[in-house]
Amino acid sequence: MRILGQMVFYALFVVVVGVFSAWPVLRVLGNDEAIVSVSFSLAGERIGTCRKFTQEELNELAPNMRRPADCPRERHPVRVEISANKKILYSATLPPSGLWSDGESIAYQRIVIAAGEYDLSMNLDNTGSDSTFRYSQSAHVTIAPGRNFVIRFDQLSKRFVFE
Amino acid sequence: MLSLLQKTGRAGFKILQRPMSRVFSPGHSPLDQLGSLSIFFCWIVLVSGIWLLIFFHTSVSGAFESLEYLTHQQWYLGGIMRSLHRYASDALIVTVLLHIAKEFSFDRYRQSRWFSWVTGMPLIWMIFPLGITGYWLVWDELAHYTAITSAELMDAIPIFTGSMAANFLSDSVLSDRFFTLMAFLHLIGLPIFLVFGIWLHLFRISRPVISPPRTLMSGTLLAMLVLALVFPAESQDKANLSQATQSINLDWFYLHTYPLVRAWSPGWVWTMLVGITGLIVMAPWLPPGRKQEPAIVDLENCNGCRRCADDCPYGAIDMRPRSDGKSYTEEAVVVADLCVSCGICVGACPTASPFRTRSDLVPGIDLPALSAATLREKIKSASYKDDHTSRILTFCCEGNRVGKQLQSAGEAVIYVACMGQIPPSYLDYALSRGYADGIVLTACADGGCRFRFGADWTAQRVMRTRDPHLRKRIDNRKIAMIWRDKNIAPQQMSRHLQKLRASVDSVVRHGDAE
Repeated sequence: MRILGQMVFYALFVVVVGVFSAWPVLRVLGNDEAIVSVSFSLAGERIGTCRKFTQEELNELAPNMRRPADCPRERHPVRVEISANKKILYSATLPPSGLWSDGESIAYQRIVIAAGEYDLSMNLDNTGSDSTFRYSQSAHVTIAPGRNFVIRFDQLSKRFVFE
Repeated sequence: MLSLLQKTGRAGFKILQRPMSRVFSPGHSPLDQLGSLSIFFCWIVLVSGIWLLIFFHTSVSGAFESLEYLTHQQWYLGGIMRSLHRYASDALIVTVLLHIAKEFSFDRYRQSRWFSWVTGMPLIWMIFPLGITGYWLVWDELAHYTAITSAELMDAIPIFTGSMAANFLSDSVLSDRFFTLMAFLHLIGLPIFLVFGIWLHLFRISRPVISPPRTLMSGTLLAMLVLALVFPAESQDKANLSQATQSINLDWFYLHTYPLVRAWSPGWVWTMLVGITGLIVMAPWLPPGRKQEPAIVDLENCNGCRRCADDCPYGAIDMRPRSDGKSYTEEAVVVADLCVSCGICVGACPTASPFRTRSDLVPGIDLPALSAATLREKIKSASYKDDHTSRILTFCCEGNRVGKQLQSAGEAVIYVACMGQIPPSYLDYALSRGYADGIVLTACADGGCRFRFGADWTAQRVMRTRDPHLRKRIDNRKIAMIWRDKNIAPQQMSRHLQKLRASVDSVVRHGDAE
C-alpha cells in the first residue's frame, strides 16, 4: 500500500514536470501577422567642426596638453522615421552611445504588423536637423504572414536594405 | 505581511506533508529532502549532459542535427539522456523553489541562517541562465525565441553598447562563434560557479545532507526514466531567422518571465527580477526580527568534553585551548553570530543535571532564555488535573501546536526552544523524583522543525544510542516521542494520551523492573 502511495506521488510529480515543460503553448504572433524588425547602428555627425587654437589659447595650455585644434567628440543623435502606408511604424531619436556620447546610435525595434502589401517610406538623419532628413527612401513590399522582415541601414551604400 | 505569508506557507506544507508522511518513511519524504533532491537532480543533469556533449556539434548548422540524431536515431540512449537532462533540470526548479518556500515558511532564514539564505540567491541566478543557455543550444524555434528575448533583456542593461538582439535577425549575421560562446557558458562557465556556489551555500551548515535516501533517489530516477520514455523531449522546428516565431511550446519552469518581456518591457522585467531578488536577500533582516540571547559557557562547569560542539547543528561552538588554567585541554566557546539559541548544546551537556544539590544548577553551557535551573523549577511546579490516574508531563518545542491543544485540555506542558534542549537527566529527574508518571515529548515531525537534529538527538538519547544516555532505570514505556510515530495526527493526541496513561499505569502496577 505504501509502495502504491509512493508511486502515485512520483507519477504526480513527473506529470507536473512533464506538462509544464512544454505546455501551455505560447502564442507569440497571430496567423495573419508578421514582424518588422528595424535594426542598424550608425554614427551621427560630430556636433561641431574642429577649431584651431589661437596662440594665446595655446600659451595658456600646459606644454603636454597643447594640440593644434579643438575637435569635439560628441555626435548628433540619429533620427529615424519609418512609415507603412503613410502610417508611422517607427519613429525614434537615437542618442549616441558611450560615456562621451561619441559612439554609434543603435536602433533595434520589433514591430508586429498585419501581413500584406505596404508602401514603406524610410527617412533618416544624422546631422542634427530637426526638420529635414538626410536620407530618404521608398519601397513597395509584400510581407508574408509569419515573416521576420528586417530593415537595416547599410553604412557603406547609405541606403535602407531589407532582409 | 511576512508572518501571514509564513503562516500560509506552513499550512500549505502541512497539507502536502500529511499524505506524504503516510507513504514515505520518517525523514524520507521528498518534502524533507528538497535541498538534497536538488543536488541529486544536478547529478542527473551532469551525467546526462556529458553524454549529450559527446555527440553535440557546436555550430549553427550542426547543433540542431546532432540533437535530432540523438533524439531519433539513438533514442534508446541519447534520446533518454536528452529527456533526463531536460526533465531533471525542470524538476530542479520545482525542488529549489519549494526549498526556498519551505525555509521561509518555517522561519529558517534568520539569525545565523542568513548566510545560507543569502548565498542561495546567486544559485538561482546561475540555475536559470544555465537552463536558458541550454535551450539556446538546441537551435530550434524555441531557441530562436529564447535567444531574441534574452538578447532584448541584455540590451536593456545600459552597460552594453550595440544591440545583442540584432545578431538574431538573419542567418547571415549568426556565426558558429555564438555556439562556442553558449557552449562555454553552459558547459563550463556557469557550472563551475554553480558548484562553488553550492559549496558556499552549505559552508556554514554542520552535517549538510547532500544525498537523499537511496529509496528516494531510486524512486525519483525511475520516475524520470518513465517520463523520458513516455514523453521524450524533442526539438521544435529548426530555427529559421527569416521567419518570426508564431507559437512555441514554452518551458514554463525556466522561461516563465519571457512572455512578460514582450507584454511589459525588458526594463520592467529587470525591475521585477531585481526587486524580488532584493526582497529575498533582505528578508532575514526584515521585521519581525527575533534575535534571542545566544548560549553562554560557564567555564567553572565546562570540562571541554566537546559534546556540545559535536551536536550543534550550526557549528556555533568552537573548542579552544583552555584559558582558565584548569587541567582540561579545551573549553567551549560560543560564536554568537552563528548561534540560533536552540539549546541543543544544553541537551548534550553532561553537567546539565537537575540532580545537583550541592551547588547551584549552572551547567557548562546554558541558554539564557530558558536556563537549566528554570527548566528544573518548571518540572517541579508542573500542575496536573486530578481526574487522571497518572500524571503526564509534556515537553513541547516552541511553535508546536500540539502543546497548545494539550494545554487547553488542562494537561501539564513545558515549552522548550527545541526538543534537543532537554538533557535526558531531566526526564529521569521528572520520573524518578515523582514529579510525573509519564512524559510526552512533542516535536515537529518530518522536517518541520525550526532547528535541525534536535528531535533526532533527543530520540537517540532516550533510546540510549547517543551520549548522554537516559539512565537504564527509566522504563522507556513511560516516555512517548510523538514525532516518531507518524500515525499520530495532532487531533488524535487525547486518544494517544489515554494509551500512554494505560501504558504508564501498567508499568507502575507491575513495577519498574519489568
